Amino acid sequence: MGLTRTHPLHLILGLSVWAVWFVVLYGGLSVACKLAPPDPAAGALSWINMLLLPLTLVVVALLAWAARWCWQGHADSDSLKRFMARSAACLYLLSALATLAVAMPILFLPPCI
Amino acid sequence: MSEQQDNAQLHAQFDRVWGNLPGIGALAAVNHTSVGLRFIVTGLFFFLVGGLLAMLLRTQLALPEQSIIGADLYSQLFTMHGTLMMFLFAIPILEGVAMYLVPKMIGARDLAFPRLGAMGYFCYLFGGLIILSSLLLNIAPDSGWFMYTPLSSSTFSPGPGSDFWLLGITFVEISSMTGAIELIVSILRTRANGMSLRQMPLFCWYILAMALMIVFGFPPLILASILLELERAAGMVFFEVAGGGDPLLWQHLFWLFGHPEVYIIFLPAAGIVSTLIPVFARRPIVGYRWIVLAVIVMGFISFGLWVHHMFTVGIPQLAQAFFSMASMLVAIPTTIQVFAWLATLWTGRVVWNLPMLWILGFLIIFVAGGLTGVMLALVPFNWQVHDTHFVVAHLHYVLVGGMLFPLIAGLYYWLPHVSGRMPSNVLGAWAFWLVFIGFNVTFLLMHLTGLLGMPRRVYTYEAGLGWDWLNLLSTIGGFIMAIGIAMFLLDIGMHFRFGRRAPRNPWAADTLEWAVAMPVTTYNFISLPTIRSRHPLWDNPQLPDEIERGEHSLATIHHGLRETWGSDAVSGRLRERVHLPSNSWIPLQAGLALTVVCLGLLLKSYWLALAAVLVSTVIMLRWSWHNGGHPRAAPLRADDPCDPPLHSRTLDGPGRWGMLLTLMANGSLYASLLFGWFYLWTAAPQWQAPEQGPLDVPLLLASGLGLSLAVALYHWLNRQLQRGSTSQLAGGLWLVALLGVVHVLLLVWVLLLAELSPTGSAYDAVLTVMLCYLLFHGALAALLSAMQAVRVQRGYVSVRLPYEPQVLQPFWSYTLGVFWLGFAAFILLPMAW
Amino acid sequence: MVGFATVTLIAVVSLWLYALRRRPRQWSQEQARRVHNRWIIGGGLVLPVTSITLLLAFGIPIGHRMLPLPLADSEVVRIDVTARQWWWDVSYPDSGIRLRDELHIPAGTPVDLHLTSDDVIHSFWVPRLGGKLDMLPGRTNVLRLQADEPGLYHGQCAEFCGIGHAHMKFTVRAHAPSEYAAWLEGATGDE
Repeated sequence: MGLTRTHPLHLILGLSVWAVWFVVLYGGLSVACKLAPPDPAAGALSWINMLLLPLTLVVVALLAWAARWCWQGHADSDSLKRFMARSAACLYLLSALATLAVAMPILFLPPCI
Repeated sequence: MSEQQDNAQLHAQFDRVWGNLPGIGALAAVNHTSVGLRFIVTGLFFFLVGGLLAMLLRTQLALPEQSIIGADLYSQLFTMHGTLMMFLFAIPILEGVAMYLVPKMIGARDLAFPRLGAMGYFCYLFGGLIILSSLLLNIAPDSGWFMYTPLSSSTFSPGPGSDFWLLGITFVEISSMTGAIELIVSILRTRANGMSLRQMPLFCWYILAMALMIVFGFPPLILASILLELERAAGMVFFEVAGGGDPLLWQHLFWLFGHPEVYIIFLPAAGIVSTLIPVFARRPIVGYRWIVLAVIVMGFISFGLWVHHMFTVGIPQLAQAFFSMASMLVAIPTTIQVFAWLATLWTGRVVWNLPMLWILGFLIIFVAGGLTGVMLALVPFNWQVHDTHFVVAHLHYVLVGGMLFPLIAGLYYWLPHVSGRMPSNVLGAWAFWLVFIGFNVTFLLMHLTGLLGMPRRVYTYEAGLGWDWLNLLSTIGGFIMAIGIAMFLLDIGMHFRFGRRAPRNPWAADTLEWAVAMPVTTYNFISLPTIRSRHPLWDNPQLPDEIERGEHSLATIHHGLRETWGSDAVSGRLRERVHLPSNSWIPLQAGLALTVVCLGLLLKSYWLALAAVLVSTVIMLRWSWHNGGHPRAAPLRADDPCDPPLHSRTLDGPGRWGMLLTLMANGSLYASLLFGWFYLWTAAPQWQAPEQGPLDVPLLLASGLGLSLAVALYHWLNRQLQRGSTSQLAGGLWLVALLGVVHVLLLVWVLLLAELSPTGSAYDAVLTVMLCYLLFHGALAALLSAMQAVRVQRGYVSVRLPYEPQVLQPFWSYTLGVFWLGFAAFILLPMAW
Repeated sequence: MVGFATVTLIAVVSLWLYALRRRPRQWSQEQARRVHNRWIIGGGLVLPVTSITLLLAFGIPIGHRMLPLPLADSEVVRIDVTARQWWWDVSYPDSGIRLRDELHIPAGTPVDLHLTSDDVIHSFWVPRLGGKLDMLPGRTNVLRLQADEPGLYHGQCAEFCGIGHAHMKFTVRAHAPSEYAAWLEGATGDE
């Protein structure tokens, strides 16, 4: 049984990716600050921010792609399948937006203080 | 005429099979209606006690420099107030409402695991009474309801108060977990034929999300309580700085539970609102899918907020900012719901009614609480008002507004269901206005008290700081609210005596729970309808009569079994006949045995506790013995139905789903333990780890090999069974059990060789807990496999009864997974570092 | 912020009341759908997103100013505070002064307080000077405060710390810079 576009797992997969990303973000930041805290004077341009930012963008791109993929699945099926595919697509999209929003402070704040 | 007689006979037959035992036998009831109502009544009792404590607190604070209540008693009172309201009122009563309603809404006759629900109730009742008794003995917990250590540690709280909290709450949480698991499985697997996810009542979506949040959110607290109790009772180091622990670990674990908990309380209440509003607006809810999405998003994002309770502990700003953003994001799904409700009212034809009054009160108070919540998410503002009365006001706005008001609206709405009578509008409206005004007088002003700098949890304050009149008014408001609550209870009491008779479906609602007889029967529906829309009663107002006349499916009793439909999780298509257990004393016995375990630990008589653990194990094994093909359950018969088959004749019934969910909860506990390990490793101020790991790695590998072989063999046997071959099943299962025992013995050897000193260092303490966790799982898996082997020999498991080995299989896989994951985290990773 | 919240609250509640009270009318399917989308997207999405953006636009700069960034131009006064059940042990590492339940600081200059605890968790809070920061056993947190005006400020423990919590208070005396120097002199002389 493959992971079709209407599989119920999609209802939780997007936000689970968000959750894992969130844990990596928070945990990674803490560990990085412990190992090699950058100079606070550098502000938001430290190596930690520069690492977290692309990671975030990759996750967002992945989620956005998944949203698009699920959305394409709803055209030719019955109403339940359409409901599942559309809901899944929306949830992927929302996860992508949540990821972007939560990551925004990376642009402004120095990492370790 | 004869048709009517036949029908009466059918109902009498159903009553015999589904009814509770008479007299004292009611304690053996497992029926979801009885158990749900018990939860609700008990919850109201604890609510009253908690409210009484609040009145005492407000009396002490009414005037400055009073000494009606001393600092010591005051600490006990506010700790108990929070604990009772959160753990013994809010969650259990909402679960009780859900347990009562969910099967009726989805067209089932009972929940999927009736005995589990009944046992949960006894754990809740006895655990609650144990906690309450500490207050009567004047030794109640006194460190605040979030029990921050080191204040709650044995050094600073040497009395038994903290033990009452840690053991009692963990005990009560058993009931939340069991309730959550049976609700999830029931919602996913026992819906009426044809009720797809798309047609499921919104209330069930909310309950599904709440229950899943309990499954993942409670284990961190359960783990934290176990660790803190181990620290207090056995001196193991987890939170004490000196041995390499960290008090902040407690805060992380506590709020990992604590924040989702707020949404666990809010979601079912919002579910009540989403159910009532369309009924009184006389139109379907607007934005069904929006609401479903909002509920799912809330369920997830609320797990990413926990640090906002810890903004003042000194976490880097960037990390705080992540949590701040997530805290603000969670406002969006809430707003979506508020506006979906608004749009429903906007385009509907509103009927004004008592429940609507309470819903309106909910809206005003909850939106206000939500707005202060967004303010609190802003870090600099939080630094100012954290731990002041502003936060006290905020949390009461969110919880009382977001939970108590919808709950009362729901109680009034579903009251006719239980009593067969209609609520009166007069007393109910008086109660509402008193509670509403009293509440706002108390807590609106309290925002200001907090902004003026009054910290929370002070038992008294100096005169002349500008707080005097505010506190006096808050106290007066509190008493007004208490009078309102008293009037609500009076109203309910009078209602059962004087209320006028309710017709069937008195509110002209759309959902299935109103298709039952009034007052409700134990089996809910004598025949189970097929569902094709979200509003079965609006589409077909005759449906209740058709059901009553037995015109729909499963209107027969098969060999005295309690049965309901099992259906596909997504489409709701019929899959099997689920046979359910009847009245049983086992839940009460298990609850009592577990109470003795709890008391033994409290009194520090560990032999008693150990004996009680053994007794409870025996009781629970007996419980699982009376399942499947056992003569007391559903033995194989020549006339077994085959389309659809009984669930114990299939490969995937509700029990397997229950196992998977239990393992998810268990996995959350394990993940919390791993989090604790990594957290202490990277963040504890005085963490020390030995250069050379203390465990004997080759021996550990040998133990893991035994386990891997056992699991591989089990999987092979199971495949053979699915293919219809059982020639080697009994012997094979014995071999699996033996391999499990070898694995356990080797693990014990590793533990003994390591000579850990868990009282000296956090490293050894965490390692000990991890090894014990693995030991427990290995031993349980071996024991259950041996039991399966015996059941094969007795004929309870066979080609026609292949179900139980499917249920056990995920447990073996899980045991294997946690072993190797633990190996990687505790052996490989430190090596690679 | 409070004003904005109040306006939002009143607006939402009035809309609800209006929706409850207004005379029902017949909606065509298409009309109803438009109304729904307007409410859910306008109210449920646009409103909170705008509010949050506004809140952040104000909040982030404030938070930024409160960061204990290293200061280039002036020397920061350092004071160590250790909390005990139920009193405050204050010491000045530069001059060796030790005080109980009182702090003296220069007005107009930032002060870095190094906060820790000897027993349970406490929290250092002077409501009129700034936010609070927890004092944890085994850790030291740094709080930067600045009193703009000389005067007497009251502080208290903000995290529940046992039965003495309500009475665990202290005072902060902010001196004009010259007076502060004099006080420092005098206090050191006393030793």
